[in-house]
Amino acid sequence: MRRALIVAMICVLAVAFTVSCKPKTKPTPPPPPQAKEQPKVEKVVEPPPVKKAEPTEEELFMSKSLEVLNKEKPLAMIYFDYDKYFIRDDAKPVLESNSSWLKRWTSTKILIEGHCDERGTEEYNLALGEKRAKSTSDYLLSLGIPAERIRTLSYGKSQPLDMGHDEAAWAKNRRAQFLIIEK
Amino acid sequence: MTKRLVFLPLVLLAAALLGPAQQDIWILIDGGRPAYAFALPAFVAADEASRAAAEEAHRIFEADIQYTRIFQLLPKTYYSYIRALDPKAIRFKEWESIQASLLFVGVLAESAGGDVTFEGRLLDVKSERQIVGKRYQAKKSDLRYMIHRMADEIMKAYGEKPVFTSKIAFVSNRDGNDEIYFMDYDGARQERFTFNAVRDYMPAFAPGGQRLAYTSYRGLVPGLYIDDIYENKRTTVAARGTSYAPSFSADGKKLAFSSSMDGNAEIYVAEIETNPTRVGRIRRLTYNPAVDTAPAWSPNGREIVFTSDRGGTAQIYVMDAEGANSRRISFGANHHDSPAWSPNGDKIVYVARVDNVFDLYLYHVQSNQVRKLTESNARNESPAWSPDGRHVVFTSNMKGSLQIFAIDADGQNLRQLTTAGENKLPDWSQ
Repeated sequence: MRRALIVAMICVLAVAFTVSCKPKTKPTPPPPPQAKEQPKVEKVVEPPPVKKAEPTEEELFMSKSLEVLNKEKPLAMIYFDYDKYFIRDDAKPVLESNSSWLKRWTSTKILIEGHCDERGTEEYNLALGEKRAKSTSDYLLSLGIPAERIRTLSYGKSQPLDMGHDEAAWAKNRRAQFLIIEK
Repeated sequence: MTKRLVFLPLVLLAAALLGPAQQDIWILIDGGRPAYAFALPAFVAADEASRAAAEEAHRIFEADIQYTRIFQLLPKTYYSYIRALDPKAIRFKEWESIQASLLFVGVLAESAGGDVTFEGRLLDVKSERQIVGKRYQAKKSDLRYMIHRMADEIMKAYGEKPVFTSKIAFVSNRDGNDEIYFMDYDGARQERFTFNAVRDYMPAFAPGGQRLAYTSYRGLVPGLYIDDIYENKRTTVAARGTSYAPSFSADGKKLAFSSSMDGNAEIYVAEIETNPTRVGRIRRLTYNPAVDTAPAWSPNGREIVFTSDRGGTAQIYVMDAEGANSRRISFGANHHDSPAWSPNGDKIVYVARVDNVFDLYLYHVQSNQVRKLTESNARNESPAWSPDGRHVVFTSNMKGSLQIFAIDADGQNLRQLTTAGENKLPDWSQ
C-alpha cells in the first residue's frame, strides 16, 4: 500500500516537473492540408463462379458406352451348385440388388449367360448352362423385371473364369453372369 | 507233363460250364482276325525327275495301308531277300517266298507341266491276278488326295468303307474365336471353313460329306444351320432357343438334334430334303422336364441313342426313332454323355466320368458288355466313328491343351491330329 502511494507521488512529481519545464515557444502552424487526389476505392467483388450443372445420374449413365458400363459390372454374377441350376440362397440378395438396378435403369436390356465347370461333357453342359440362365431369368421375372428385357444364352463349359482344375476353380465357373446389351 | 495234360481239359470244361452264368466274361473276336500280308515295295519312278514325287506318294500310301488294320505291311528287310521289283515282269513266286499275300505296284510319272500320273495295281500273289487297278492324273498339289483315292479303292475292294478321302470337321480357336475347320483322317490339310465373328460349334456331316450341320451363335441365338459345303449355301434348321448336337440319319433324310425351342432341352427330328437342301417338318420326340440331348442315330435309322438326366444324373438311353420305348443302357458312373453309334451298328461309344476322369467306353449292343477304350487320366470327350468303324476320333486334354486324337477301336494306335490352338468336337464324314 505504501509502495503504491510512493509510486503515485513520484508520478505526480514527474508530471508537475515536465509541465513546469515545457519551453514557452509559439507553436508553428500545421501545414495546410494537401488536396487528396487519390482514386476512390472501388469495392471489387469477383462474380460468383459459374455454377457447373452437376450431371444427373441419368446423364452420366447415358454418356457411358455399353462397353464401359459392362466393365463397371453393375450386375454381380451368381454361382451354382455342381450339376444344379436352382438359385442358391446366397444368390438371392445378389439378384435382388441386380433387379433394383434394372428397375432404376428401365431402358436397359440384359443377356444372362449360363456357364458350367469342366466336369460335364460339352452337350450336357450346354443344356445345363441354359437351365442356369433360365432359372436366373425366372427369378428376375418374379421380382418384376419384364421378360422382354431379358435374354438368355448358354456357353456350356467353353468360357471358364478360372482355368484351374480344383473345386475352388469349378465353384467360380458354375455361374450366371450378366451382360448389358441395350440401354 | 501228363498231369498238366489232364488238368487242362478240366479247366476248359469248368470255363464252359461257368461261361453262360457269368456275364462278365467277354472275348474280343474282332481283334483276332488275321491281317493280309501286304508287300509294298518302293514306287517306280518313270524317270529321275519323278523320283521325289514317287517317294512322297509311297510314304502317303504306306501310312494309309498301315492305318487300315486289315493289312499287315511286310517288313522292309524281306524285300532284300529277293530280286528288285520289275513292274513289267513280276516274279510272283519270289514274293510268295517272302510270305507276301498281296503285292502293290505303283508307277509314278511327273510331267514338266507339274502334273503327276500314277498307276497302281494291287495283285494277289498266289493267284497272280490283279485285284484293283487304277490310273490317275492330277496336279502335283493334289498328289496326297490322289494317293488317298487309290488307298480307298483298295478299302472298297475289301468291303470296307473309304476312310482316306474322308474329312474330319472340328472346332478350333486357333484364329481367335471358335470356328469350324476340316482336316484329313491323319490331321493333314487342315483348312478353315467358317469365317465370322460368332461362335460356330458342334459340326456334324451329312452322309457323303457334302453338307454340314452346326450350331452358330448368330445374333446371340445359338441356332442350328446346314451348309452346302461346296455351294456356299446356308439353310436354317432352328433359330429359337438353343439348338445343337446335330446328327444325320444314315440316309441323310433326317436330322436329330437337341433344342430348347419349346423351353427345355428336348430331342427333335427334322425332315431334310436334298437338292436343294430344305428343312421340312420338325417333330419333337421327348417330353419331360429333364435335359435330353446329344442324339445319335443307329445306322439302320430305327433307333436314337441320347443323353438324359431324367433319372437324376446324365445317363445314356436308347429310344425308337419315333420317341417311344426309351431304355437306359449306361450304368456304373454318375455322368455319361456324347454317345455315337458305330457304322455297322454293333457298338456305341460314349463318355463316362469316374472320379473326375473322363474316358471313352465301348458298349456292345448285342451283349450289353462295356469295354474301356481310353486310359489317360485326362478328359477324353466327344467321340465320333470313322466311316469304316475301326477308329474313333475324340477330344482330349491328355497333353495339356484340348486337342483332337484318334484311336483304333481296340485301343491301339493313339495319335494326335491337331496342335494349333485348342481343338474340339470332331465329327468324321461318312
